[in-house]
Amino acid sequence: MQQILSKSVLLVAFACIGLTSLAQQRSIEFEEYDLKNGLHVILHEDHSTPIVAVTVMYHVGSKNENPERTGMAHFFEHLLFEGSENIGRGEFSRYVENAGGVLNANTTNDRTFYYEVLPSNQLELGLWLESERMLHAKVENEGIETQREVVKEEKRQRMDNQPYGNLLSETMSRVYNQHPYRWPVIGSMDHLNAANEADFIDFYKTFYVPNNAVLSISGDFDPKEIKKMIAQYFSGIPKGTPEVPRPTIVEPSKSQEVRDTILGKDQLPLVVQAYSIPAQGEPDFYAVDMLNQLLSGGESSRLNRAVVDEKQLALFCGAFSFPLEDPGVTLAFSMANMGVDPMQVEEAMNMEIEKVKNTLITEEELQKLKNQIESNFVSGNASVAGVAESLANYHMYLGDANLINTEVERYLKVTREDIMAAAKKYYGSENRVTLYFLFDEEAANESQN
Amino acid sequence: MKMLKYIAPIMILFLAACSGKLDRSIVPTPAAAPSINIGDYETFQLDNGLKVIVVQNQKLPRVSYQLTVDRDPLFEGEKAGYVSMAGSLMKTGTTTKSKSQIDESIDFIGANVSTYSNGMYGAALSKHSDKLLEVMSDILLNPTFPDDEIEKLRKQTLSGLASAKSSANDISGNLVQAMAFGTDHPYGERQTEKTTEAITRDDLMNYYKTFIRPNVSYLVIVGDIDMETAKSQANKYFGAWEKAEVPTFAYEKPSLPTGNRVCFVPLKGAVQSVIEVTHPVDITPGHPDAIAASVMNNILGGGVFGGRLMQNLREDKAFTYGARASFSTDEVAGRFGASASVRNEVTDSSVVEFLYEIDRMTRETVQDTSLQFIKNYMNGSFARSLESPQTIARFALNIERYNLPKDYYSKYLTKLEAVSTDDVLRVSKKYLKPENLNITVVGNREEVAEKLAQFTASGEVEFFDMYGNVYSELQAAPEGMTALDVFNKYYEAIGGVEAIGKVNSTIETGTMSVGPMTLEYEKKTKGDDKMLMSVKMGPQVFMKQIIDGPRGISEQMGTQVAMTDDELTEARMQLDMLSMLHLENYGMSAELKGIGQHNEQPVYVVDMMQDGKVVSTNYYDLASGLQVYSESTQETPQGDMTITTSIKNYIETQGVKFPSEISQVVGPQTIDVKLNEVQVNRRMSNGDFKID
Repeated sequence: MQQILSKSVLLVAFACIGLTSLAQQRSIEFEEYDLKNGLHVILHEDHSTPIVAVTVMYHVGSKNENPERTGMAHFFEHLLFEGSENIGRGEFSRYVENAGGVLNANTTNDRTFYYEVLPSNQLELGLWLESERMLHAKVENEGIETQREVVKEEKRQRMDNQPYGNLLSETMSRVYNQHPYRWPVIGSMDHLNAANEADFIDFYKTFYVPNNAVLSISGDFDPKEIKKMIAQYFSGIPKGTPEVPRPTIVEPSKSQEVRDTILGKDQLPLVVQAYSIPAQGEPDFYAVDMLNQLLSGGESSRLNRAVVDEKQLALFCGAFSFPLEDPGVTLAFSMANMGVDPMQVEEAMNMEIEKVKNTLITEEELQKLKNQIESNFVSGNASVAGVAESLANYHMYLGDANLINTEVERYLKVTREDIMAAAKKYYGSENRVTLYFLFDEEAANESQN
Repeated sequence: MKMLKYIAPIMILFLAACSGKLDRSIVPTPAAAPSINIGDYETFQLDNGLKVIVVQNQKLPRVSYQLTVDRDPLFEGEKAGYVSMAGSLMKTGTTTKSKSQIDESIDFIGANVSTYSNGMYGAALSKHSDKLLEVMSDILLNPTFPDDEIEKLRKQTLSGLASAKSSANDISGNLVQAMAFGTDHPYGERQTEKTTEAITRDDLMNYYKTFIRPNVSYLVIVGDIDMETAKSQANKYFGAWEKAEVPTFAYEKPSLPTGNRVCFVPLKGAVQSVIEVTHPVDITPGHPDAIAASVMNNILGGGVFGGRLMQNLREDKAFTYGARASFSTDEVAGRFGASASVRNEVTDSSVVEFLYEIDRMTRETVQDTSLQFIKNYMNGSFARSLESPQTIARFALNIERYNLPKDYYSKYLTKLEAVSTDDVLRVSKKYLKPENLNITVVGNREEVAEKLAQFTASGEVEFFDMYGNVYSELQAAPEGMTALDVFNKYYEAIGGVEAIGKVNSTIETGTMSVGPMTLEYEKKTKGDDKMLMSVKMGPQVFMKQIIDGPRGISEQMGTQVAMTDDELTEARMQLDMLSMLHLENYGMSAELKGIGQHNEQPVYVVDMMQDGKVVSTNYYDLASGLQVYSESTQETPQGDMTITTSIKNYIETQGVKFPSEISQVVGPQTIDVKLNEVQVNRRMSNGDFKID
């Protein structure tokens, strides 16, 4: 599970468009209910392949952390593979592999997600493993020490040693001054070193409780049997006693643009613009997301065509909404070609955004965006694991798992005027953080050590 | 089966009722294995011979079309690479559409399309399927292979080949294929700079016209579609595709080496050796032994961490980060390989372990538990793979193409379950050849090669170049000849010492290109201590270097940095057009190593040294005397990097020749410098070189 964090962070940053999934023509059928201890269960039956995805999503991410103990949420994602009262150290993954399955986990600012994909006759094994994790995982010094080292190694390999691995942390720490999104998901190694066994046990007891989790299962199972098994394995897990704390801080809006230059070992200049945008699910979020699709969806999108193809200023460009539970950000970025002044790149990017503010996009372009959005939604539902995760996401963030079937309509309702209005409202310089990531020999040498 | 399904939950209820509580220490046992239902497919054929396979899957409103041209592998010879180039370029222009128009029409419907040497693939929402097929049919029937796209791809390919020269993994990939199949086999021949340069538009067109034909092709349609639509679409979009006789080719089976051999490609400064132990195997897809052979391969070192090679070389000995085995079935020639990257000092010890594990497979019966573990793993992978309708499509295509029994894949798990420990031993003995191995190694010759002779039947390590051709050892230079003689010959070739001595100042103008960017540069020199070089993008100067007597600066985007003493010395040496006649002035020396080969032409090889250390190796053409190539190593924050410089086309001004095309490769990046004009001895004021 060592490789997980950066994967999720980068994916969210670069790839996810907030459109997790959704079939437009064929609806995804599911049922949902709560156990007495508060565990929310979502079941989606699909017998097309004899496999089953057993997933648990905990409503805890880096934003729930104590500012003096950042990195705890991600750390737990590692720690909870260490075993439980009935599962020996290192055996968690061996059980799954021996059953012919795969497992993994990832952590974001808002939630932590664990899953196994198993042959369907091994469903019970998956339930046993996940219930052990929820009931009495091993939260002990031995595992904590081991995972501290692993997480440090992960940070080195996946962030320090990764091109522009500091992109997100440098950007988010300027977009947010008060809200806990300001620190990175991987957190501070000093904080993790300072945390003692009691801190960890407290975190586990507060957040790893059934009333803070969604058990989402998708695939080949018998609905009657599975409910009995779920009751067997999960209903005896006690409800959490402390109130699950959620941050209430509202990030104040900015009065002027924040600009900065970050020196590092990466050779090509990278220009990053981050705009504060509404939380996912808010009405304006959809127009903003469509706007980003207009800017960078496909070879023929506006930024690609203008900045990469025609002006040849950049190797590649992108603009993505970072879908978050609280108000989020759009990251627009361009990697300048060798020898190009980043200011020129920034101007070219701004020019494309100004165009959207001043001139309505064409009907044909709007149709293209809708077609692309629809295609993305449909493709997202190709795997049982993807469906299970989407259902859990929609329930956890927006309180309506059925959005897996209906959210696409919110996109298709967006008009050309909405996109222009979103550009005007959210893509102004006062609402923006602009960063240049530039090469610096000294910084490069330092990072070698 | 059905009964079991009900018994399991009843048992659970019963247990719960008895104990009242779940015993969590008991690991749940799996229920009865589910029966695997592999989706069905239907086939039909068009009048032009195109075979169509349809896999209906209504789960998502999407449909994909994959076209596979089932021709024999081609031996491409002097133009190696043209087949893949033709494939990549099919979607870059048709008789009626430009590349950007094609891109736009694909993006507009949210589709994706890719083309390759033996076919193409496209997918979209089913409601856009006609629009998608319009594009695919146009690409298939009317490609034009535009010249500018050919040149763009040629350039990218050349950069790729250049950077592959310093990549141990890329070289190993070449070497393995060449050794297992032979360089005169389609699977063993390699694309080189020379073959890439030789490719013409006619070659691409001829390939397209000769081989891309419906009568040897399959169209696999997968997804949300009914048979009627499939038939009418196939006819409408592919019916006009004209059939023609497609030539066939047969190849001799690649031969095994008579005894173990070590095939070594030297890579300067390598700190790791890339080892792959390999030999061809004669086993076709769907062969009765194929499943047992795949089990055997997984036990030795397939996908799982528990493979023997991984356990031995990584977990036990810590020689490597990963060691794996591969085993491929193929109609023409399959291949077995076992590979790892290891530190220099354990290269020979690692070979010992590879040989031990391969040999052990052919001698010992595996344990039941290991076999069961591998079966579980393969069972699960197979089941999970079925989630993608593309897997069903692949199965259907294999059945049709290789003429397998219709139930080949639906019986797969039963056959897997039936594989016994004896079967594994039998196929190991039959297919693994521990006495006939090509042990290929790419690495540090000085530190590694000698110790590998012990593994060869002949007692000698064989050396190869990066394309798998026999490595030409340097020949001795003529008796008494020195580096100075080579330099004199070079100066003679570019105009003679006298003419060169008369050059007091130069103005060079030209371009530098990196990737898609082209920059203009101007370089002025005067005497042996003044130089001004400026590089512009459009009207803007973004880099400048000035040397004025004892001082030198470089300026980038407005920031000025003073040059270090070392940099100044190096720059001065470049200003001195006859520097090689008195290298000692610069703390350098040179040594003639002998006569070697560069691009299949004989060259003098001269090492330049500083403080007893080789800093660069330079190649001078034997016939013309001109310098054609050099290799140097530079320290960078990312570690030592090799820089290669190719020099072509000298141009003459006032009796002196200047190199006009210089191509420099650093890591993955190529910088092409083109000199357009040189002016010699123009009047120039010293003020031009003033440093602000």
